[in-house]
Amino acid sequence: MNALQANISGIIKSSVIDGPGNRMVIFFQACNLNCMYCHNSHTIGLCNLCGVCVQACPTQSLKIDTANKRIIHDTETCVHCDTCIKVCPENSSPFYKKMSVENLISEILEVKDFISGITVSGGEVMLQADFLVEFFTAIRKYPELKHLSILVDSNGNVGLDKWDKILDLTDGFMIDIKAYSPQIHKQITGFSNEKILDSIQYLDKKGKLDELRLVLVPDYNNGEDEINKISTLINKLSPEVRKVLIKMRKHGIRKKYTSLKEPNPEEIRKVQNRFKEAVISVFTI
Amino acid sequence: MEDIKNRVREVLTDGCLDYKQKKHNLAYIAESTQAYPKVSDEAMEALADKKICDLFEGSAPYRPRYILPDYKLALKKGIKYLELDPPTDFDEAINFLSILYSYVPSITGYSVYLGNIDQLLLPFVADLSEESIYKKLKLFWRYIDRTLPDAFVHINIGPEDNIIARAVLKVEREVKQVVPNLTLKYDTEKTSDALLNDAIKTVFEVAKPHIANHNMITTDFKGEYGVVSCYNSLPEGGGSHTLIRLNLKKITDQHSGNTDAFFAETLPKYCEMTLDIIEARIKYLVETVKYFETDFLAQEGIIKLENFSAMFGFYGLAECVNTLMKNEGHDFTYGHSEEANQLGHRIVEEMKQHVDARPLPYCEANNGRAFIHSQSGIDIDVEETAGARIPIGEEPDIYSHINAVAPHHHLINGGISDIFHFDDTVKRNPQAVLDIIKGAFKKGMRMFTFNIANSEFIRVTGYLVRRSDLKEFREEGSRYGSTSFAANSMDNKNVDKRIAKRVNSNERTASQY
Ligand code: SF4
Ligand code: SF4
Repeated sequence: MNALQANISGIIKSSVIDGPGNRMVIFFQACNLNCMYCHNSHTIGLCNLCGVCVQACPTQSLKIDTANKRIIHDTETCVHCDTCIKVCPENSSPFYKKMSVENLISEILEVKDFISGITVSGGEVMLQADFLVEFFTAIRKYPELKHLSILVDSNGNVGLDKWDKILDLTDGFMIDIKAYSPQIHKQITGFSNEKILDSIQYLDKKGKLDELRLVLVPDYNNGEDEINKISTLINKLSPEVRKVLIKMRKHGIRKKYTSLKEPNPEEIRKVQNRFKEAVISVFTI
Repeated sequence: MEDIKNRVREVLTDGCLDYKQKKHNLAYIAESTQAYPKVSDEAMEALADKKICDLFEGSAPYRPRYILPDYKLALKKGIKYLELDPPTDFDEAINFLSILYSYVPSITGYSVYLGNIDQLLLPFVADLSEESIYKKLKLFWRYIDRTLPDAFVHINIGPEDNIIARAVLKVEREVKQVVPNLTLKYDTEKTSDALLNDAIKTVFEVAKPHIANHNMITTDFKGEYGVVSCYNSLPEGGGSHTLIRLNLKKITDQHSGNTDAFFAETLPKYCEMTLDIIEARIKYLVETVKYFETDFLAQEGIIKLENFSAMFGFYGLAECVNTLMKNEGHDFTYGHSEEANQLGHRIVEEMKQHVDARPLPYCEANNGRAFIHSQSGIDIDVEETAGARIPIGEEPDIYSHINAVAPHHHLINGGISDIFHFDDTVKRNPQAVLDIIKGAFKKGMRMFTFNIANSEFIRVTGYLVRRSDLKEFREEGSRYGSTSFAANSMDNKNVDKRIAKRVNSNERTASQY
């Protein structure tokens, strides 16, 4: 049917936290931001077959397959020590797989009776927007799947033309706002945020913004000025957009960022109160 | 005689039992003075070493184990024996039922079935407001919990969405009682998503109702059915004379030979033996005690002998499969490998064939055959997993779990249960549970029960206890008969580690004396 493939870092067949109902979640490899608090930093980069992990693996479970430009992973001998992921200079992993639309469809078919829909997440899914077009079109055409809702969990860091490609095929988007000020955004993610702010407003205008999330990182994005700016932005959006305040957690973050601190109850309450003053109802998790 | 005297004395002086519980236990001792209904020596031996278990029904059955009165008929005709006229309004209907409940016999002394309560009360709603219905039901619920303090007491609602069903769920969330146990009959056509959603939110609070696959269960019965005690589905206006269960683990442990020999010799032999015991007990109840000629429920047509059958139960399928696999040199375990699951399925199918091939007297409700029942376990089951369940703590992911157990469900017309555990986060997303329940029913599951980790209620084999009640019971005894059963269960198994199964109640307590 088509030759397009996506780099898939994982699939969860039952998730109750990635949108309404029971959902299958597909995680795409590679991201165009580099957040300090990323819990899955091995999904940020793409593998360049450098072989560092192959050398580092204590059980010799990895081999480079030069002909097919991929790494072969022996699941029998692997002891799940994660050394390979930790040593990878590319923030990548030897485990993600290339999958076709057909591969993914057959994964969904297995659980179709149990789910409300699917959520694609990352990494950054929009980097593989062309694949998404084919994938979502296939779902919409498939008689047993077309009723499923399709949600996209994105960092929003792409040009508006990318959204247009999949807008009509998608039920809703869940976008993170990491910070309002470009400087703070750069500190947290390594990149500026103009595209993200545009995307948020664009998706909202199109009636497709489901959820906006703010991950609270003390000493970075919890300042009064910052929260006020975010509130102003939120107040311009339609009130139906679900607003979620997420406490940054240090679980799984990279060594060099362990000095980050999780927000304490006082800091959370402060931000909650700011939102309250701005008449914004947020859900904290 | 000396022995009886000592047993009686032990009951009389047990500070953990209240007056009613003592009376119940004394009756059990008195019953045990009678000779067991006549069965072969081999069958008596199997009962003694628990290859076959009669669930402490007693040696001289003088009442059926499960009675499901036709409450609808009773409300319509009134009851002469109790000098009750047909009720004319909501209050009278509740009062009528409250009185009748206390006269329905069972093994535990408390009725295992209180009716499809919304269907029973709807004709009496008239112009009552939602508020006043709620208030009346709340008092009714308090009455039930305080006077029928046994977690096997079971009430049903559904399948249609209605004001009573909604009020029941609201009361449940509010009063947070162990009793009554509750089942919602779910029908893909008749039950609204909103009602199912309300039920799911109620489970979040009080670990009930169970959700029954009404479309499926209803085809197994000629008339109406009820879900009673621990997931037993039985005909209304009738019930089950007895429930005898086959311990698949024990018979496999003692089986020498390969799997083929198990199917050719051991399994049929013990199925027949179980059915022999069932037959002897039915005859004793019907012919010697003449229960159906003498009890007012039967005399007044509230129950009818033709609506009765018996139950052939089994448990320990997981251990049976694993042992047979091991004996054949395989490392396949039940719930985790296709081969093991297939073998489990074959065992259930064969049992069902034996049960269906054996005519039994006074079992007209199921065309002269017993209902087969995947028995959800009791406190003494230390080594055996309930029914056809996957052992606690070994459950695979939810889809594999459902796929492993669902194929049994259509065969088990007497009721089967599996318990699924959800993380606390699902409370924010009840729709997710709704999706999974619908999927499970599509896959052919008969009953869906789930729990939230760390809930205040603990599901023991088939019923609930409050975490705090358990603790108290160990120290000073509990108002609930079933708590002592649960305490034993909790001590025997890590049930509060994973929250687990569902049990029967006082019969076991009585047998300890
Ligand atoms: S996964 Fe990382 S370390 Fe391993 S070969 Fe690829 S880029 Fe190199
Ligand atoms: S996790 Fe990676 S490094 Fe560790 S054994 Fe497996 S392949 Fe090797």
